[in-house]
Amino acid sequence: MSTLINDLALGLSVAASVGGLLYCFLGVFLGTVIGVLPGIGIMATLAMLMPITYHIDPNYALIMLGGIYYGASYGGSTASILMNLPGTATSAVTGLDGYPMAQQGRAGQALFMTAIASFVGSLFGVLLLVTLSVPLSRVALKFGPQEYVALMALGLIAASVIGSGRTVRSLASVSLGLALGLIGLDLNSGVARFTFGQTVLFDGLPLVAVAIGLFGLPEIIANAGRTTTPKVNQDKIRLRDMLPTRSDWRRSGMPMVRGSGIGAFFGALPGTGGLVATFVSYAVEARCSRHPEEFGKGAIEGVVAPEAANNAAVQAAFIPTLSLGIPGDPVMAIMLGVMMVHGILPGPDVIQTSPDLFWGLIVSFVIGNLMLLVLNLPLVGLWVRMLRIPYTLLFPVIVALTCIGIYSVNYQVTDVFVLLAFGFLGLGMKALRFEVAPLLLGFVLGPMIEEYFRRALIVSGGDMMSFLDRPIAGTITVITGALLVWALANAAWKQLRPRNRRSSNA
Amino acid sequence: MRYVLERLEDYIAGLVTGAIGTFIIIEGLSYRMGSLHSMGPGYFPVILGGIMVLLALFMVLSAQPEKMAQIGPEDGQLRGMAFLAAAFVGFALTVENLGMLASVAIAVFLASLANRKTSLITALILAVGTAVVSALVFRVGLGLQIKAF
Repeated sequence: MSTLINDLALGLSVAASVGGLLYCFLGVFLGTVIGVLPGIGIMATLAMLMPITYHIDPNYALIMLGGIYYGASYGGSTASILMNLPGTATSAVTGLDGYPMAQQGRAGQALFMTAIASFVGSLFGVLLLVTLSVPLSRVALKFGPQEYVALMALGLIAASVIGSGRTVRSLASVSLGLALGLIGLDLNSGVARFTFGQTVLFDGLPLVAVAIGLFGLPEIIANAGRTTTPKVNQDKIRLRDMLPTRSDWRRSGMPMVRGSGIGAFFGALPGTGGLVATFVSYAVEARCSRHPEEFGKGAIEGVVAPEAANNAAVQAAFIPTLSLGIPGDPVMAIMLGVMMVHGILPGPDVIQTSPDLFWGLIVSFVIGNLMLLVLNLPLVGLWVRMLRIPYTLLFPVIVALTCIGIYSVNYQVTDVFVLLAFGFLGLGMKALRFEVAPLLLGFVLGPMIEEYFRRALIVSGGDMMSFLDRPIAGTITVITGALLVWALANAAWKQLRPRNRRSSNA
Repeated sequence: MRYVLERLEDYIAGLVTGAIGTFIIIEGLSYRMGSLHSMGPGYFPVILGGIMVLLALFMVLSAQPEKMAQIGPEDGQLRGMAFLAAAFVGFALTVENLGMLASVAIAVFLASLANRKTSLITALILAVGTAVVSALVFRVGLGLQIKAF
């Protein structure tokens, strides 16, 4: 217990320092801004801010990047409720009931309760992070290569199987991602693979350019040509009008708790995250509500539960990232990338070797969430007004900042071309309805999983059974296998069903 | 023929996946394979390529009649795509020779034309403004190693 207090005190000394507070505020502020504005995603923002993070202390860099991540998930619900135009993908579900509430003149209450729900969800996620990370990293220190391979495989399979309707295509995305990750010099033999004689490719494809290309560019392209501006509710929203009724509070309590639990579970699982969590928690609430007929027409439960789930998932996503060094989603992959730039090797010993980084980040989450409460409740009018900035003036600036950000990572012009190429790959995949998130996860984990896979087979003398013999690796492998078989059987079953269901999933 | 057309999306997806998988296998085979006990650089890529070919077969065999997702760009998107691509290329080609001011201005100018409602004057003002501000912030403020002009 006393160590925990010492650790938290260390964290407080980092997070509550002038720099810590400054970058934490900068992060949550920018996060809220991009979360509120539809059409600018977290990935594009991270690209724009890359140059800053290379110049500051890694502790502060991670605090700021973390702040952007959870700040965006707070802000995302604002546009979703007011205009039915989700600022981030994960807040789409919030709009299902939030927008009807706004149409009934209860936008203030919806915004107020989402802020509270976000806060509750976040704190729950942070609590889980504190309690799980240290023991988990201690277990992970005993992991051999088999365990790492099994865990990463679980993450990859889970990412493609859960929450996507097209398992087979997602598995193909993962495979392509893994293969793209192999580009460059092979660490064991020094052979250049898939480089086609290009020396710039020897270090592999640049992670940031790949990620921003896949996620950010299609987003900008989809919105750039838009000529109609979305209508914003012109009513002034004052704090006084926002106070929820007693029945709002009473009806929100349990959904928040359930949402937090669901969110934390999916967030901690590598490969799944906020998006899945919001859908699941909405479905759960609709099922166990006493007024299921109100869902879709402005039920407060349908607003707070997904919101709590989303924010709990965001915080819980840090668990595998910080304690195992395995990123669960694209944003976490970027965070790990920043750590590596600063010479910190992600993995189970980060908590021991850089306690200031780990605990500073955790304490900053609490501080950041408090800041967000202030930013989102009294200042909500400011965000609503910001929604009137025309996107036509905004996106060219985003393009320029993205260029600068990507270029400044390595000062290599080819990185900008890589960004563009992956932007078109992302568009093409979207057109054929392939998921891009599994590809990026595969890309990040590709080199690691190959390395551990080879090492595991060297250690075991080429015996594949060693993945099943060892208790931890065996358990994870069996779970992964079951998940895979279930998903493929499911896909095959859909095929065998009579044709009259053909229009249902078109 | 109708049978094929109805299932076109799944077929295209399968063919693309299969082609990429085959390519990975062929390229992978040109590296040393090694054995399961001590894998060469070719082993893992060939496994991956094999998985992709299997998945592609699955996609083609289990193709279902479906409405195509809209593959052609929506209204205004083709213009957007072309100008945005031009903006990135413009930046990449000029940043090392002309420096940050010019390349940022070019990128912003081209990008803002992606929306057909933006007038040339607006684009120009936005381009110059962004170039000056970003040069101040990134070159002067953060000391990035990009020359201003």
